[in-house]
Amino acid sequence: MIRVEDIQKHFGALHVLRGITFDVQKAEAIVIIGPSGSGKSTLLRCINLLVEPDSGKVFIDGVHVNRHGIRHEWVRQQVGMVFQSFNLFTHLTAIENVTLGLTRVKGIPHDQAIEKARKLLARVGLAAKENAYPAELSGGQQQRVAIARALAMDPKAMLFDEPTSALDPEYIREVLDVMAALAREGMTMIVVTHEMGFASNVASRILFMDAGKIIEEGTAEDIFQNPKEDRTRSFVSKILR
Amino acid sequence: METAAAFPLRAPPKLVTRLTIVHLVEMILGGILMVFVVLPSIFRFSLVSASFWQIYGRFYVTGLFGTFFYVALTLPLSVVLGFLMGWARVSRIRVFSWPASLYVNVFRGLPPLILVIFASLFGTNLVPQPIMDRFLSGFRRGDIAVGLAAIAIAMHSSAYQAEIFRAGFQSVPKGQQEAAQALGLRPWQGMMHVILPQTFRLSLPPLGNEFAVLIKDTSILAAISGTELVAKSRDLLGILPASGFPIVWIFAVWTVVALTYFVLTYSVTRGLRLLERKFHTPGLESISL
Amino acid sequence: MTNWRKFLRDRWRYFDAALALAVIIGSLVYIYDLLVGSRGLDVAYITRNYPLYLHAVFTNVYATTIAFVVGMALGFSVGWLRTARTVSVAKFAASMRVEKRERQEAPSGSEVTRRLLVVLSLLWYGTKYVVRRIGDGFVEIIRGTPLYVQILFASSFFIVFLPQYASEGILIGIIALAINTGGYQAEIFRAGLQTVHSGQVEAARAIGFSRLKAMRYVILPQALRLIIPPLTNEYIGLFKASTFLFVLGVQSEISYIAQHEGFAGDVFEIFAIVTVIFLAITVTLSFVVQALERRFRIPGLGIEQVKLPRGVRIARVGG
Repeated sequence: MIRVEDIQKHFGALHVLRGITFDVQKAEAIVIIGPSGSGKSTLLRCINLLVEPDSGKVFIDGVHVNRHGIRHEWVRQQVGMVFQSFNLFTHLTAIENVTLGLTRVKGIPHDQAIEKARKLLARVGLAAKENAYPAELSGGQQQRVAIARALAMDPKAMLFDEPTSALDPEYIREVLDVMAALAREGMTMIVVTHEMGFASNVASRILFMDAGKIIEEGTAEDIFQNPKEDRTRSFVSKILR
Repeated sequence: METAAAFPLRAPPKLVTRLTIVHLVEMILGGILMVFVVLPSIFRFSLVSASFWQIYGRFYVTGLFGTFFYVALTLPLSVVLGFLMGWARVSRIRVFSWPASLYVNVFRGLPPLILVIFASLFGTNLVPQPIMDRFLSGFRRGDIAVGLAAIAIAMHSSAYQAEIFRAGFQSVPKGQQEAAQALGLRPWQGMMHVILPQTFRLSLPPLGNEFAVLIKDTSILAAISGTELVAKSRDLLGILPASGFPIVWIFAVWTVVALTYFVLTYSVTRGLRLLERKFHTPGLESISL
Repeated sequence: MTNWRKFLRDRWRYFDAALALAVIIGSLVYIYDLLVGSRGLDVAYITRNYPLYLHAVFTNVYATTIAFVVGMALGFSVGWLRTARTVSVAKFAASMRVEKRERQEAPSGSEVTRRLLVVLSLLWYGTKYVVRRIGDGFVEIIRGTPLYVQILFASSFFIVFLPQYASEGILIGIIALAINTGGYQAEIFRAGLQTVHSGQVEAARAIGFSRLKAMRYVILPQALRLIIPPLTNEYIGLFKASTFLFVLGVQSEISYIAQHEGFAGDVFEIFAIVTVIFLAITVTLSFVVQALERRFRIPGLGIEQVKLPRGVRIARVGG
């Protein structure tokens, strides 16, 4: 479904990604963990080309997307993205946030877009809040609207960039529930998160990244119970303590 | 699961609150007290004297129309220029941002009076000859000079507006454009539908103040014999003593002029504040006072 | 990726900067050519006469400075008056109603003292209200009318009532400028004083500061940080406004221009000098403002200063 081959990325003198290669099968949920600054967010942004990799190839559904002739906008419709800081459009209500991409990118008529957006908002449990502005919603509700907004584009895969780390503890649950439901329904997902409970329950595989490289990959049991690498072990011991 | 009924969560903000009405009433009462009681008793004039308005009326109307004309000329021009310059200043492309920042610093750094005098003396040299011949040949040279001076005022104001718009642009978080692009919107679509609406909302209140300043600045045109309110009122002073009015009636003239500008600027700032309240979005109210 | 795309991507910053400089220099040269053209710049005139103009600008600087200091006293007083706490008529009436009901339910104390208290508090709030509204009115009038009109008003005042001083253009000018800047500074001081959160006083009192010490160590340091950059901006604005002294017949740079208006000879040179001097002063000062802002910025103080909407130079963000 998603394939990443030997991706390199520099920001000026900083070598952020040092040759990342991995595969994601259809309906898999991959969780990426790792210390901050290890390049996880940049990796996600390389997949939907918000950041263009310096070298290496990104394939989505078999299509090599980071080459000349492929429109970035098309790529971004294929993979939805959810941000750490929600990034809901402040001047639009919840439902307008969801319909904006439908009407402006997909060219769907307004009525149908509204209908679809209502269904999606209901799916994330926010049907009653469709006319609320982002500032009037709690963090958890905002993040769920952001998920609905990404789902509206009918993406083939979803990228989650630390979706719960900006949330108050009491709102984390509701967002994770929505994500787990998505995974159960067979959505292909790549999730960067520090929620180890989510990782062990939902992830089909876990990648551990450090200093721009994938150090280790395996099932939740492999990584959490008997990690092979020292760096993995020390990181896991810190967060599972 | 919650129902899918569409209902507004909160009543839309009231456009006119009781407080604004109280303030307005206070303002009007205070103004009437000042203009019809306090000042007349100090300076011994009366603003309801028919013989005064008989002489001043024509000057006043001509001057007021002149002021309106210059405001109508400068205001739209300054907004367009200011917006473009503000946009250019936040651009990452230096071909846009550097000249824009030079423009802003020069026009903000020079006093409008100097700009006006400069424009009236040299402005015609800066207008390309074809435009002079094609569009301006029917005008008198003096009128062209004043018109160019008005444009100089618009440019002065546009430098300030550029800074307002720049602040507006900069207070829209980077994540907004990123999120727009992650949805598959093109950069220009993100600009149109996500960044610009927020910028405008953030810029409205300070723009109101700036418009008020611009209206007041058109009075500078009186220094180079533009036909507007201050100039016409000054003209009147020459014939006032000859018409049998004591010299303190000068203050009647200045009171009327001041009151007129006050009403103009006040209605503009309040009008824009109403507009802002109409477009009010929770979470989008940062740069305002 | 093809080679030239890579080249453009890597070298774009330099290319862009070079292009930007070319645009700037090109348009400046173009404008210079339109204005001066084949006549050539009269360098001799500039080298001979620039001290004259420096002196004229010095007149502006000292008029501005005196007016600014006087205006600061005025502005602080008015601004402070405007922070007076008042109660709206409706709220006052409501509290009276509550008081009346309580009195009917549980009568206590004598009726006379109660009435007296009501009258006194009415007087107290009424006086505060009127004083505050007078301050508001002063600021609104200054901000709502053009400086030009204010100066003409002042000069008329001198002509009519103090004719012996009517020829002292610089005196009239300084007075008018001081009153003008007083109105604007009042707004700055009011905003500065009001924006320091009242919770700060509470916190300071809670750790044992006296009221005076809380002012000295908590309120003032915060208020000053907020006030200094907009005050500097106000100084720049006032300096620019001081060109209006010319209207009053003060020998300033513009009056030299006005004298030359008859013959176009060296007028451009005069403008060149004046422009350079003015830009040097205002641009330097505005860099000072930016430096001050950076120097004084405290993350999370809760106030962002919106630099340049003239008229209102402080803005509050959030709470």
